[in-house]
Formats: sequence, C-alpha cells, structure tokens
Amino acid sequence: MKIPLKWLNKYVKLPSKTSVLTEALTLAGHMLDKTEKVNGDDVVDLELRGNRADCYCLIGIAREVSALFDTPVKLPESYKSLLKKSNLKEVSLQINSSFVNRAMMVVIKNVQIKQSPDWLKKPIQAYGIDSINNIVDLTNFVMLETGQPMHAFDLDKIGNHLEIRKAVENEKVTTFLGKTVTLNKEDLVWANKREVLSIAGSIGEKYHSISESTKNVLLEAASYDRANIRRTIYRHNLLTDAGLRHEKELDPNIVEKGVYRFLYLVDKNNWGQIDPHVFDYYPKPVKPWTVNLNYDYLETLGGLKLDTNKVKNILNRLSFKIKKESNNGLEVICPTFRTDVTLEEDLIEEILRIEGYDNIPTRTLSLEIPSYVTPEYISQEQELKLAATEVGLDEIITSSFVNEKYQEFNKNMEHPNASPVKIVNRPSQDTEILRTTLLANLLEVTQKVINERGTAAQFFEIGKIYFKQKTHYEEKRKLGLISWSKDSEVFAKFKGLLESLLTKTNIENLTFDNQQINNPKLINTYSISLEKTIFGLGGEFGNIFYCEIDLDLLLGKAQNPTAQLWPNFPPQIEDITLSVRTNTKVGDVLSLIKNTKYVADVQLIDTYEGYYTFRIWYQHPSKTLTDKEVEKSRKSLLHLIKQRFRAIIKE
Amino acid sequence: MREEIINIKNLAIGRITDVTDTHELESIRIEYLGRKGKINELLKSIEKVPIEERKEIGRLINETKQTIKIVIENKLANSKPKTKTSFDPTIPGIKPKLGHLHPTTIVINEMFEIFKHLGFSIMEGPEIETDQYNFEKLNLPKDHPARSLQDVLYIEEPEVLLRSHTSSVESRALENLKPPFRIAVAGKSFRYEKVNASNNVMFYQFQGVALQKGISMADLKGTLYYFVKSFFGKHRKIRFRCKYYPEVEPGGGLDVDCPFCKQLGCAVCKGRGWLEILGCGMIHPNILKNFGHSPKKITGFAFGMGLDRIVMDKFKIKDIRSLYNGDIKY
Repeated sequence: MKIPLKWLNKYVKLPSKTSVLTEALTLAGHMLDKTEKVNGDDVVDLELRGNRADCYCLIGIAREVSALFDTPVKLPESYKSLLKKSNLKEVSLQINSSFVNRAMMVVIKNVQIKQSPDWLKKPIQAYGIDSINNIVDLTNFVMLETGQPMHAFDLDKIGNHLEIRKAVENEKVTTFLGKTVTLNKEDLVWANKREVLSIAGSIGEKYHSISESTKNVLLEAASYDRANIRRTIYRHNLLTDAGLRHEKELDPNIVEKGVYRFLYLVDKNNWGQIDPHVFDYYPKPVKPWTVNLNYDYLETLGGLKLDTNKVKNILNRLSFKIKKESNNGLEVICPTFRTDVTLEEDLIEEILRIEGYDNIPTRTLSLEIPSYVTPEYISQEQELKLAATEVGLDEIITSSFVNEKYQEFNKNMEHPNASPVKIVNRPSQDTEILRTTLLANLLEVTQKVINERGTAAQFFEIGKIYFKQKTHYEEKRKLGLISWSKDSEVFAKFKGLLESLLTKTNIENLTFDNQQINNPKLINTYSISLEKTIFGLGGEFGNIFYCEIDLDLLLGKAQNPTAQLWPNFPPQIEDITLSVRTNTKVGDVLSLIKNTKYVADVQLIDTYEGYYTFRIWYQHPSKTLTDKEVEKSRKSLLHLIKQRFRAIIKE
Repeated sequence: MREEIINIKNLAIGRITDVTDTHELESIRIEYLGRKGKINELLKSIEKVPIEERKEIGRLINETKQTIKIVIENKLANSKPKTKTSFDPTIPGIKPKLGHLHPTTIVINEMFEIFKHLGFSIMEGPEIETDQYNFEKLNLPKDHPARSLQDVLYIEEPEVLLRSHTSSVESRALENLKPPFRIAVAGKSFRYEKVNASNNVMFYQFQGVALQKGISMADLKGTLYYFVKSFFGKHRKIRFRCKYYPEVEPGGGLDVDCPFCKQLGCAVCKGRGWLEILGCGMIHPNILKNFGHSPKKITGFAFGMGLDRIVMDKFKIKDIRSLYNGDIKY
C-alpha cells in the first residue's frame, strides 16, 4: 500500500530520515517495496501482510510507527453528536444473508457536490486514486484513513426499499467503471426492488452513485464475511481498493469509526445536513478478547529471555491491555482491530517483532541430533546421477508436461491402459498433459541437437512420470537414457553404456530380452531385467536409442560392493570362432560358455559375417589348471554348443 | 684377475657416463653384456682362477654385470630424446567425453550437504497432491487470502492438484515421522503462471522442517545463518525480518545483500539492495495440532525457498525456461 508520508505525519511523529522509518517497518513485517515522489511528496509503498487488515490504512500504519518508535498516535477527529440508532424514514434495508456482519446507513441532505479542495484531493491522488467530486473523494479519503470502505448512493435514485441479498444467477450489473458483470448466485449485492445497486464489498453501479446533480446522499458502510467477498472478487476480477480491504478480516467496529469520521468532515466543511438517525445492523457485536501469555513459552518459542516490564511496555505500545498479571505471565486484552491476534503464538510474534528479530540470538541447533532417516532410494538416486556423469552422460531436467507436438510419444511404456493425467485449468496447451514417459521430452531435446547443435547427444534424466489407472493417480520415479551419434550408433554401445552405469551403482547381471512395448514409434524393443523382474524397457527411434528404468523397482537391488583382486594363478586363454543360425541369441551362447566348469570369463571379441569370436578364460582361484583339465572343459563346451545351437565351429 | 674386473667395470661406467648417443650406448651394452661380451668372457675365464678364489671372483663378476646393467638403465632413463622441431603444443587436445550434472542438481546437492552437517535427513513426497496436504493441513483453509498467492493447477477440482509448494512434504513428514526429526526437501512445484523469463509453471523449491522439544526462533535463525554463510559466502550480509506466512507463527523472512549492485539498488533487487531468499518461522500451532502434537510440548521450525532464482544467479542464466528445455550447453 502506498503511504504518502506527509499524510502519515498528521497522525504520528516520523523519524527525520525516511530510511530509518522504512527500515523499521520492513523489519517489523511491512516490507518497503519502493519509495517514490508524487507531486513533490514522499510516498512509500509497503508490502503489507495479508493478515493485517488493520494496516491497510493511514491510522494502522501510524499505530505501527507509534509502537516501533514509542511515540503517541494522534487519532483524527470524529463527529461528536451521537446519532440515534433507528430505521431510516427515507429508506429501509432488509438483510437476507448471514454473510453481513454489520451494515450502517446514514442520510445526508442538501449536499453540495463540488470539486474537492486540495486537502482532500492531494492525499488520495498521492495514494493513487483519481479525484471525482468531494463526496466520492471523501469516501475514499476516509477509507484510506480508517481502513473502512464505504459507498455513497444518490438517495433520490435508489427507491425506498433496499436489501442485501445473494444475486440471482446471471443477473447483470454494470459497474461504476463501465464493466458489465454477470453475477453468480453466491455473489452478495445491494439491490432495490428492481435492480442491483452495487456488488457488496467491491464496487457500485453507476446510475445510483453520486453525480453532479445529486442532492441527497445515503452513505453506507458495512462489514462482510471476507471469504465470500474474496470469492466474488476473484470470480469477476474486481480487486478494487474496497475489495482489497473487504477480502481481509476487517474489524466490524471500524464501520462506525469510518462513518463518524465521514460525518465529521461533511459537517466541518458544510457539505450537507446530517440526518440525526443512523441505521445500524450489528447482530453480533465484536468485543475485545483475551489471550494468555506465558513467559516460559515466550522464551521457548522466541529463544530469548525478555524482562517482564519490557514485554508489558511493548504490548502497551501496540494498544494491547494487561488484564491480569502473575509471575508466570499475563492475561492480555486484544483490541478488536487486531483480528490477526487470537493465539498466544500471535502475541509472541508481536513482542518479538517490536523487540526486533535482530535481537534474537543465533543458535546452531545445539540440541541432540535426531536419527538419520534419508530413505535408501534417495541416496541411490544421487549415486546414479553421479555414475551417469562418470560414463559421459549429461543430465537434463525437462518439464513435467509434454507439449502438443510431442504427444504422439507420450505413451506409458509399461501400462497400455494407463491414461495421461490432465490439468483441468491448463495455463496453455503446452502445460496441460503430464508426461507418462521421459521419452517425449528427452527426444525433443535430442532432436534439437540433431537439427542444429552437434554430432552426438547422450543424455539422462531422473524424474517422475505420471499416469492414471482406473481411478487412482500414480507417479513413478524413472531414469531415462537417450543416445544418438552422427556416426551410426550401435545398440551394443548403448547397452554397454547402461551396463557400465548400473555397474557403477553395484547392479550387475542384467538380462535383456526382446519385448513388445506400448509405443508404436519405437522399434527393436526389449526389456531389461534383474533376477527375473523387468525393471526397464527400451527401443530405437531413427538412429536414437532410448531406455527407461523404473527406479522404484530397482530400489534395494544393489549389491554390496566387494573389491576384486587379480587372481594368483595364470589363466589359459583361448579364442573360438563359430557360426550359428540367425535366430540364435548371442546372450544364450555366452551364458552357456560362462556356466562351463573352469571358465572364469568369456567375451565376445569379434563378429564377422555370421561368425562370432569368443575369448575364453579358463582359470581356477586356487591352482594352476593342467592342460588336461582345460581340454576336458573345452570339449564339453564345444559339444554343448554344437548340440544346443547347431553351431559350426571354425577350426 | 680382480684388478682386471675392476678396470673393466670402471672403464665401462666411464664410457657409459660420457656417451651421448643411444646407438653408441647400445653398442657399449653389447660389448659388455652381450652374448660374446666382456662379462661373459670373464665368466668363461673363471676356470683359470684358483678354486679357492673362484667363489669370490664369481661374485665380483656378477656384481660388475649388475652394476653395468643398472648404469646403462639409468642412463637410458635419464637420456633425453631429442625434441622434434615440428612439435606443436598449441594443437587442440582430444578430450574424453565428460558427463555433467544439471545446475539445479548441483545446487540441490550443495544445499543438502550443508544441511546434513546440521543433522538433517532428506525426504521426498508426491507431486500429485491433495488439497488436504497442500493446503488444509498447513493452516491454509479454503478462501484464505494467502491462497491467492498460489494459483494451483488442478487435476480434479477442488481436491486433486499438483503441489504448489514443497510444504506439502512438511505435511507428510509431520504425519509419518516420529519426532525429533530434521528433514530437507528439494523438488518440483507447480503454479498457474504466465510463462516468461522469470516465471515458469514448473519450478523448484527447497524446504526444511525440524521438530524437536526445545527448538526456538534462535535455532531457526542459527540454522539459516549457518546455511546462508556456507552457501552464499561468509561475508554476505543477512537481514532477518518479520514476515507473514499462514504456515508459521512467528514468521520470518530472510534476505541477503544484493551482490549485483553492492546494495546501491539495481534491477535485480528492484532497487531494494536486498534479495529475498526464503520464508521461515515456527510451525503454526494449528498445524502441530492437525498432526496430533501439542504446541506446548514440542516446537518446530520450517523454511522454504525458491531454487531457480538461486541457480540462475549462480550459473548466470537469464531465462528460467532455459533451465528445463535442454538449452543448457555442457
């Protein structure tokens, strides 16, 4: 809120340096946004706290300054002659909603509508409200001064019977600012028998408001259920200066303060004759309430020990009253405008912020250290990320949404029946559908590389994917791996990359099998499993290799790392070359060889026109193998290979 | 015989020391150590030595052999191959492919590391959340004014949504963990935003929660100061001020001095001289009660910060969108 300092100075003495004032306000919760000059006067713009309805006015800020600098507040003068509470003879008001906490009306006759004098015009202009005429300006002036929004009707145009009611669905009203609003049946309005006169809490209708020709005025000020007003304001985008205040927890007692201040200024300036009756609907008057303060709790929560006299002094400066006092604490009476203070903790914050957060000591959690409860999968994820960079992959973080262009790739690979999750209030087409796979976005990034950036792309992403199955929503942590190279990439290289990466995190002995998967765009698809559980799926698109690993499933599959030593006894190494039928899986041949007695290791070292060359290590951990032993082992494995795979051994 | 051996040895060492050419060194080696070399000839002539001296002479010959061998090896090791005149050290190096972590991950890891020192564990929570965990249980009832600061993306209005802050994980922690605990959370959050260089629908937050008997504002302040000094540098100025958040009471905000303008005021800090880093406070008593804790018996603090701004400042990235669209060049 913009605070013209010259105006503020009328209610409280200000420090001579503006920066001293704004620094104090900032530390106490009202952060300085910016300082500006309007017509030569300093105006400070403060970011006020949403729970401090009482601060959205000059008096409210003056109270804060008063508490911070321990200097008195000078409240503005109010209309002295007390009005008689009764129904008004000119106009009645029926209230048909529990959302009205208080409503006051008073009639002012023979009003002189004219241009506002400078004392009225300048302050509201400095705040940022245009001047219209003296009566309208005065409603704004008093609102800015006291925090109570009010509205002036042309008494001769509104008829004799008013009501505050909920709008009829699709009822229309054109506001003072010329905007036509189609109302909802939850919106609260002021209306006469024929039409809506104003939208309660935010804005009036034009015809019934004050004009040049207005002779008699009906002034109303009210207090409503803030939640209802707030819904209306956001539904119709009507965040006016009145609405800004009504959507917060205003004190109904300031309705009266605002009205009497308004009347005082009308009377003082001879702008009209005040009718001696006031209509005041106030079914449940709000009285000051008490909150207890325990000194020990203040110390526990605040982390500092304060002298009790200091505590009392701070509370007094903030207009709290001490009702009772004991050795342990205080019973404190809250002024009704402090709608934000209802709990002991609220009171403690009040004391701390006036004492100053600067005076709170800094302790680096000197308490006992609680147990370490980081779940294993989180550390595993961190290890995986590091391992991925070690094998040369770059980490990408992409959006959780898939844009329109890449929707065709947004298919959950495991669950054909899973549907993507959609946002009902999407900000744009590209932020509507959540990803059901990491493929779509990683592919988009990779294609950027292919089209314009380079000759190779090797990326990984670890993140959530989302989908809906029947009625429940699921999110799963996935590792996506994508690789492309201008020089034709081979699957074996990609597979090796994944294997190396997982070995780094102590996951070994993966099995790869052909597998149909739910993505029509991918060819050469396969599954990746460990101990017979499938935890990953992959495939190829163009020359791009992709696979996706389910990290939730992989959790806990890591072996404890063991150090391996070079064996003490020499191996016998032999290469064998064989040709197998086209449907034979090399993996099966490898596992057969591997399972032969004395074979310590086997590698595929070459493939050429249907011939595969394997290098075999015969080795024993505790002795040197004899030629005889190796020969026996060799014979048995060649025999099995011939038998099982119909392989031809090249001698 | 003995003298002859010693002479051979000394001569050999002298020649080896003086030699400058590797070819010449090789011919010396052959001359002494070769199959028909001087050492072997000495060994052959050992028959002529009286039997009682043979053992001693044999030892001496072997020692000579070893010495010459070692001197040659050392000479070889120390001899400097001639520099090729065409050698060009300005030739570009052929770099092995290195992988890189994403800047956001780097910052998250760094922060986790700092909070681990303070006894924090790491926790995660769902991104698809319910209104209950995202708002209601956190003292943000429906129609609360603070909700207008967080326009939510709904999956099913009004109950199922994408979490609008990582505070939802605070709900989960308070529900599932037995105090005392200290947890740190980093993750994605989502809000209805008009996308531009500084706002994105998806963004990252970092959150901390501690619940333990005896925790006070002083612990909160100490923890945050330790973090700020560790992460942003020990000479940074810190401003700790009162601020309102429905999730905390008392509430606070923490700013650090703007490094871009030395607090003179610039576009980055909007002329304020300070950068808002995080919001914090003591866990609101209503929240503690929501999860079955008595505010008089146990207290806790919570803090939360936006990560993207911090990542962008650290890595000099101007547009938030480039963090998450693959535009970062490694």
